[in-house]
Amino acid sequence: MKEKKQSEKLTVLPEESKSGKKGLSRRGFLKGAGVTTAGTVMLQTGLLGHARADVKEDTLLGPDAILVKLKVNGRSRTVQVEPRATLAQVLRDHLELTGTKIVCDRGSCSACTVWLDGKPVNSCMTLAMDVGDRDITTIEGISNQEGLHPVQQAFIDHDATQCGYCTPGMIMTSVHLLNENKNPTLEDVKVALRGNLCRCGTQPHIFKAVLDASKKM
Amino acid sequence: MNKFSWYEAKSVEDALGKVNATVSDILAKNGYKSSSVFKAGGVDLLDLMKEGLVNPGTIIDIRNIPGLNKIDSDNKSGLRIGANVTLAEMESNITIKNHYIALHQAVALAGTPQIRNSATLGGNLAQRTRCWYFRSIDHQCYRKGSGTCFAQEGENEFHAIIHNQPCASVHSSSVATALMAFDAQVEIISSEGKKRTLSMEDFFVHPSKDSRTENVLNANEMITAVILPAVNEQIRSYYIKQGARESHDWAMADVAVVMELSGNRCKKAAIVLGAAAPVPIKARDAANSLIGKELNESIAASAGETAMKDATPLAKNGYKVPVFKAIIKRAILKTV
Amino acid sequence: MNTKKQKFPFGIPDHNLTEVEREIPVGEPDAWPVNDQLKHVGKPVKRYDAKAKVTGKAKYTADMRLPGMLYAKFLRSTVPAARIKSIDTSAAESYPGVYAVHVIENLATGAREKENESNRFPEIKFTGQPIAGLAAESLDIAEEAARLIKVEYEYQPFVIDVEEAMKPEAPLVFSAPVEQKADAGDVGVTHEGDRGQGNVRGPSTSSFFGGPRGDLEKGFAEADVIVEHTYRTQVHTHVPLETHGVVVDWKPDGMLVYTSTQNTKAVRDEMADYFDLPRSKVRVICEFMGGGFGAKHSAGNFGPMAAILSRKTGRPVWLMLDRKEEHISQGNRPNSIHYLKIGAKKNGKLTAIQQRSHGTAGVALGAGVGRVAQILYECPNFATEQYDVFTHAGPGAAWRAPGNVQGAYGVEQAIDELAEKINMDPLALRDIIDTSEVRKVERQRGAEKFGWSRRKPAGSDPGPVKKGLGVAQSTWPRFIEFDSTAEVRILRDGAVEIRSGVQDIGTGTKTVLAQVVAEELGIRPEEVTVRIGDTVFPNGPSSGGSKVTGSITPAARNAAYKAKMELFEQVAGKWETDPSLLKTQDGQIIHKEDPLKKMSFNDALKGMRTGAIYASASRSDDYGGFQQPWGLAYGDLGSVQFAEVTVDTETGFVKVDKIVAAHSCGRPINTAHVRSQINGGVIQGVAYALYEYRSMDKETGHMMNANLDQYKLPYAMEIPEIESIIVEDYAGRSSTDAYGIGEPANIATAVAVANAVYNAIGVRIYEIPITPDKVLNALNKI
Repeated sequence: MKEKKQSEKLTVLPEESKSGKKGLSRRGFLKGAGVTTAGTVMLQTGLLGHARADVKEDTLLGPDAILVKLKVNGRSRTVQVEPRATLAQVLRDHLELTGTKIVCDRGSCSACTVWLDGKPVNSCMTLAMDVGDRDITTIEGISNQEGLHPVQQAFIDHDATQCGYCTPGMIMTSVHLLNENKNPTLEDVKVALRGNLCRCGTQPHIFKAVLDASKKM
Repeated sequence: MNKFSWYEAKSVEDALGKVNATVSDILAKNGYKSSSVFKAGGVDLLDLMKEGLVNPGTIIDIRNIPGLNKIDSDNKSGLRIGANVTLAEMESNITIKNHYIALHQAVALAGTPQIRNSATLGGNLAQRTRCWYFRSIDHQCYRKGSGTCFAQEGENEFHAIIHNQPCASVHSSSVATALMAFDAQVEIISSEGKKRTLSMEDFFVHPSKDSRTENVLNANEMITAVILPAVNEQIRSYYIKQGARESHDWAMADVAVVMELSGNRCKKAAIVLGAAAPVPIKARDAANSLIGKELNESIAASAGETAMKDATPLAKNGYKVPVFKAIIKRAILKTV
Repeated sequence: MNTKKQKFPFGIPDHNLTEVEREIPVGEPDAWPVNDQLKHVGKPVKRYDAKAKVTGKAKYTADMRLPGMLYAKFLRSTVPAARIKSIDTSAAESYPGVYAVHVIENLATGAREKENESNRFPEIKFTGQPIAGLAAESLDIAEEAARLIKVEYEYQPFVIDVEEAMKPEAPLVFSAPVEQKADAGDVGVTHEGDRGQGNVRGPSTSSFFGGPRGDLEKGFAEADVIVEHTYRTQVHTHVPLETHGVVVDWKPDGMLVYTSTQNTKAVRDEMADYFDLPRSKVRVICEFMGGGFGAKHSAGNFGPMAAILSRKTGRPVWLMLDRKEEHISQGNRPNSIHYLKIGAKKNGKLTAIQQRSHGTAGVALGAGVGRVAQILYECPNFATEQYDVFTHAGPGAAWRAPGNVQGAYGVEQAIDELAEKINMDPLALRDIIDTSEVRKVERQRGAEKFGWSRRKPAGSDPGPVKKGLGVAQSTWPRFIEFDSTAEVRILRDGAVEIRSGVQDIGTGTKTVLAQVVAEELGIRPEEVTVRIGDTVFPNGPSSGGSKVTGSITPAARNAAYKAKMELFEQVAGKWETDPSLLKTQDGQIIHKEDPLKKMSFNDALKGMRTGAIYASASRSDDYGGFQQPWGLAYGDLGSVQFAEVTVDTETGFVKVDKIVAAHSCGRPINTAHVRSQINGGVIQGVAYALYEYRSMDKETGHMMNANLDQYKLPYAMEIPEIESIIVEDYAGRSSTDAYGIGEPANIATAVAVANAVYNAIGVRIYEIPITPDKVLNALNKI
């Protein structure tokens, strides 16, 4: 359904003084593998947090920021973050993907749901370092470029949003359900969504939307 | 969370060569830069770190160690579940679903669907209690080295009703409840290559014996697998969890029963209570009371009564007693 | 003023619909017929901003990223009561990545002692009270640095339990009379900070509906039956998914504030006043916000803190609270200990209602049980005493129908009990004592849809798992905020815009405005651009009191009408006819008497002399006047809700299976949005009835469940089946005759559930939330 960009779009990192980013430290990054010039970023796999086979034994990464390569919505992105950065923080603060929301920051409410290799996880309880080469899908990547996913359209048709803050997580979980189960019952829908919190009370319309979308997929 | 270094372990030996602390050790000693602790799914570890309770200097990622994420089943020797198997993988496993029903039910109700995609069996067993005094950075409770268990006189509606002195926390793993009922064993390996296999009862530790931790893992040890004995067609099991809500919750009371039945007649029985005590506990007298009997409503109810006879509820959790009685009775009847 | 006579629909369709003639200003549009005959109003038009929400593109305050932005964090008290002897911020100030630190010298919120305190720092009165703030490069650095601020506390005694706090020997939260700046969200709650003893303040004995009536003693003497109980409800928090917070960018030419709010103008006014700035120098923007439910009517302490840090650093500052801070310091619904005595005759007529309540809003005022006992039913003798009790806990804030949810819990259970005592069906009793015509219709239609006739005697269901049916009602006033202005622009290229400072808190205000303007201009709602939530636009109403729809839609329609008439002036000139002979329909301007004279809307605009037509209108007076001139309109937004529950008498667990909610909001503008609001109120009512409560540890003064793990809210499997019935109720009071629904949706649910639980098990539960221990206790099983 969505196209995977084949070309690697590498983010060349700016100078240390770019504000708003997490603490950068030239000394801290690129530990353990030879880097010649401080100002250039060389993306040898040996430097990247995720490529396990290539990283030398005894490589301790961090605690200051290091390069982490992530595959997000079909594109390869590189960020410079501390090991303590959660995937939710990285998506929101480093990749301008603010659709994923942080609500409880403890894995209780599933508002931060993204997919790793197609499986819903709480991005607030996933360290960015831990993602590795798994495909990350966020709400921004759930539809193709032009149109809306049938679930997104169904949410619009059935007035399944109110304040909208739970919506991205709800949609990520709902689309996953329909990918696994083409013909869910109401009970199946509730079971799939049992981890997603909504305080405004959109659930009844969400259930209707998901059941409706299942007929259109 | 505090800043930490990250180490990607390649093998069990590699991991054991680097680790020097359990989560309990860090909490007790407040060691920082020098402590290295395992992370599997990271679900419990990240929560403890975000609360500021635990601040390891190095996290050793063991999630990708080969060989720890398989489920092997064999009609003769039973089921072996690797410590890194996620709860979601356990939930979708056909053998568990068909033959270890109580375990399937417990796993399906653990956390949320999202949590289950990350959480591992090993981490689930090793998790710290969810007692809200323990989880509060502002309360120096008994498990954190002071002499005070705030729950005794405090807000204890979710706390233990049995063996609740000197600490009234409950163990929070519903999966452990089911595993213990199957007489599962925990396989542990140490940095010296020493293997030990413990029953669930020996794996968990009551706070009166060691207040710092819920289990016997040493700093240089790792859980590698959980082993369940083989089951035959006469084995029946069931698991019931009561939380404040059905969608997802920690148990207020949960029970797993595993029976060997011939028709309605009980040949063997195990009843395990979760969220009743600081460790999952076997209700032995209650289970024994079923042996040789034809199971019916009144015998099942009587077992529930027996299981609760030594309960010493606190001011706010007396309701757990009738709840346990009801769910013990119902779980038993579901196996018939 | 020039007026014209107009005939408006009046009453309830399919029941008593008739007409009423009103004199209305000549400059306002003609009366609309009932919704059936309108094109866009009254229809489930798709939500204006749904696409932005479902694609993740909607930007909330928490999502704002400005160039050079710093992240801020508060340091908060970890003890419930203390004097601060010293604060040492040196380690924090020199921490790498920290740009500014500020220690609070004056708190912006909560009750305040009228006499000056001698201490330099505010006294700590609750765990979580903010002490200082700092701004840093990242949130992680801000959190680390905040921990380095050294505070020297001198601990003071404290009290958490309400009944302990009421005792004369209890530690005092305030040792002097207090005053509290009214939170714009508060309505009809206790504010008598001057009177009282110790921690108890009040009583409040009257509301805007008046004071005591008649003679209680005489009333009770005349009664054949009396119901007398004390009902208890819990403290609970709002839990909006987006926490409170701001992004403030204070530049020399003005202050820009993004904030998650229900009240852009209050935030603008508060920030301007706090910093002595002209209001024109403060701009507040809220395009999307993640829920408020009453708690977000203020800039709080976070607004001034972020502004101070922005001024100190010269950079934008992001300050969003985390979940724990949200729970412990940003508001809650006070609890209630609610004594109620109701007397009635055998025929159902009420003879006396006596009410006395105590509740804690922590360190603030605002506990109360509302006006339900006072006005829901006809009763000649009535008196209320409502007391606030201070405790060392986070301040309360308006929470969807403040006070009235607590009050309804008592009143509607008492009425339910009364009905049984006199052997009358609960609905039949209401037919006797309730004068509201719309609730009568709601009862009839609701009972039929719900199957009320299925109801069996209390506790008669055999077996351990028992079903029960219950019903409860609510009343809610129609508030109007006059400071509600809309500007409509018709641009030369055909674009139509409506602008107002009003915010959309998830209720669908944007859609409703588009519908109203589209209806008036004869175009489609999708063709209207809605720009709201920005104080550069004219003031809009705050999103409280369920008054937005009733306040802003007449202004919006009237502005669109004015713009249209200006356009007609231009077209009429061309056709050499009179503007009054023109009308709009389906994007066309048509001559009423010569249908061949047609011009498309777009063509008409191209011929304009100016680049755009701008017209604005403010909320004008209700046709026929007000119930009270400050903006209390005639009429009621009452409701009737039916609940079906299952109670497991062995485990004590209650599940709500189904709710039928019959509601009225005057002329509904968007039926989909109305149903969404009803669903929201009902689900919050179920949560309040069964699951959620703030757990305060009395020994240490901390909230123990300040997270979403142990603070129990309903998720998918707890959601009942909800059927909503919308009863149109026309009164011809304004050009849209439309009103809100948010709070009415939340009042009756919990007590309908409680009444259903009684019907299931035959024992009444006088305290919520109805957790298993309460059911098991009631059944003597513990």
